[in-house]
Amino acid sequence: MKNIYKPIPMRIERIIRETDDGSLRSFELTFNNPADEKAFFKAYNPGQFCQLSIFGKGEAPFGIASAAWEGNFVRFTVQNVGSFTDTIHRAKVGDEIGIRGPLGNGFPIWDWNGKDLVVIGGGCAFSTLYALTKHIMHPKQRKDYGRIVVIYGARSSGLCLYKPDIKSWYERPDMEIHQAIDVPEEGWDFHTGYVPDVVKVVAPSPKNSVAVVCGPPIMTKFTLPILVDLGFTPESIYTSLEKRMKCGVGKCGRCNLGTQYICKDGPVFSLAELNELPLDL
Amino acid sequence: MTSKVIKKDALNKTITGWMRSYDVIAPVSSKEGIHFRKISDAKEFTLQGNQKPNYPPKSIFLPQSEVLFEIKDGSYSMPEAPKRRQIILGMRSCDARAAWLLDTVFNQAEELDLYWARKREKALVVSFGCASMCSSGFCDTVGSGPFGKEGSDVMVTELDEAYYLEPLTEAGEKLTEKLDNAESGHSKAAKEIQKSSVVKEHTQADLSKINEKLYEAFDTPIWKEISESCLGCGVCTYLCPTCFCFDIVDEVDRSERVRNWDTCMFRIYSQEASGHNPRPSKAERTRQRIMHKFAYWVDNEKASGCTGCGRCVALCPVNLDIREMVQVITGLPIQ
Repeated sequence: MKNIYKPIPMRIERIIRETDDGSLRSFELTFNNPADEKAFFKAYNPGQFCQLSIFGKGEAPFGIASAAWEGNFVRFTVQNVGSFTDTIHRAKVGDEIGIRGPLGNGFPIWDWNGKDLVVIGGGCAFSTLYALTKHIMHPKQRKDYGRIVVIYGARSSGLCLYKPDIKSWYERPDMEIHQAIDVPEEGWDFHTGYVPDVVKVVAPSPKNSVAVVCGPPIMTKFTLPILVDLGFTPESIYTSLEKRMKCGVGKCGRCNLGTQYICKDGPVFSLAELNELPLDL
Repeated sequence: MTSKVIKKDALNKTITGWMRSYDVIAPVSSKEGIHFRKISDAKEFTLQGNQKPNYPPKSIFLPQSEVLFEIKDGSYSMPEAPKRRQIILGMRSCDARAAWLLDTVFNQAEELDLYWARKREKALVVSFGCASMCSSGFCDTVGSGPFGKEGSDVMVTELDEAYYLEPLTEAGEKLTEKLDNAESGHSKAAKEIQKSSVVKEHTQADLSKINEKLYEAFDTPIWKEISESCLGCGVCTYLCPTCFCFDIVDEVDRSERVRNWDTCMFRIYSQEASGHNPRPSKAERTRQRIMHKFAYWVDNEKASGCTGCGRCVALCPVNLDIREMVQVITGLPIQ
């Protein structure tokens, strides 16, 4: 019988230094056992997360930053903020690491068929939105959705993630990309300002649209009312919540939010669902 | 199911008989009062009227500290489970009900917690009802009672000269099948005792109204007011039979990954890596504790997450009383 606390053994295949200051790196992990790989990709849906597990350092949750079609690896973008993430940042290609997952619900993309998508992200919370965009921009999925608008903000140009891919998105006729940084920089040709203000300027149409917002709590807090003002209904706005989690499977109690556990019932909720919950965030 | 009796002077013999096939976990006397442990002699089993141990027997299924994995050469192995079946003897209704409630967290087929499930599977709960309610208990106001049946395989009522056993599950029936059948006099006497066990003045709390009022009060300053004297020691949650929160930590020297009881009453419990804390003060933490028991459990399981055991009331170092706190917030009594 499956032990929900047992990590799957993985190997670091590739490390990408995402930001100029090295504070954010992406790690692409491959599976030691083919059976684990098969089970993982059978279950995986963009928007889900995993518990990364290093014995001696513990476990912590990270959003999955890759689409299934990209290959037999799973990507995580990790910001170096503490003891656990520092250990990951010091890891080398070939090192072993455990994961538990995929966990949580992910984005309900099957409900979004035929709709326009507005993807709004800020900082390292963009990781699961990156996975979502990659998934949807694949020719196999692209035809299922209407217009796709991506709005992505970072504090500075040096802190922008996934640079080669985002650059290539400007070339694609079947999507619209808006990048923003907080303060002006020489040579920056895109938006300047905070994400909520950029959303106001870009003003995506709410007609037959779904908006997905992931970012630091302050960004999400100010973006949601703007979307509502633009005419998006609470049912058409989605966000992904974060809370401290230990077990990731709705047992340890830490991420409890009203009747829900963010790890198990979320992390993705519509604004309509959130409006029903006591917001202990 | 057929009710059974054990003559008082034959109880030890019955327990000794059970001990041949089962490990019997029962309350025993110690300097700190009574506590549950495996007995090696039937005589160790002690009930002391309507007493229950301060330390909740949830620890039998969810130990305060439990090894999840032994790690050797990078591979994780689950410790072996004890082979013998167990009888948990002398549980009280409040604690048996708590195990029943916690099954909704740990014993769900789709996300089974093996550690909990394999202990529950091997255990039979033989509860002893309380002929009179303990001084701090209020089980009869939150959906249960001194003879509440949830979570028990057998419910025992102490009569003058015998113990009256009601099997409640198939396993309980099997355990008791060789005992003498109860006679109608026994059943009648047991019914009387069960009926008179509740406190007459107590009424059922209106859980759905309390639930509604708690949600209404969510964003009000009342939580700060009621939590002012709280020390944040966490004893209310550690000793609560239904509090199940845990932390997972690595014990490097022992090469073990362990889970330990944790509590929402601690600041660090919900502190995030970014420094943000969704429950930064006692007010939010007290709100979480009370809302979880009296709003979220009620929404999710249609039952109060409080079994009325009264430990948090009796053992709080500053005499905070969850009943009073709920009443101050909602204006509705639990008594």
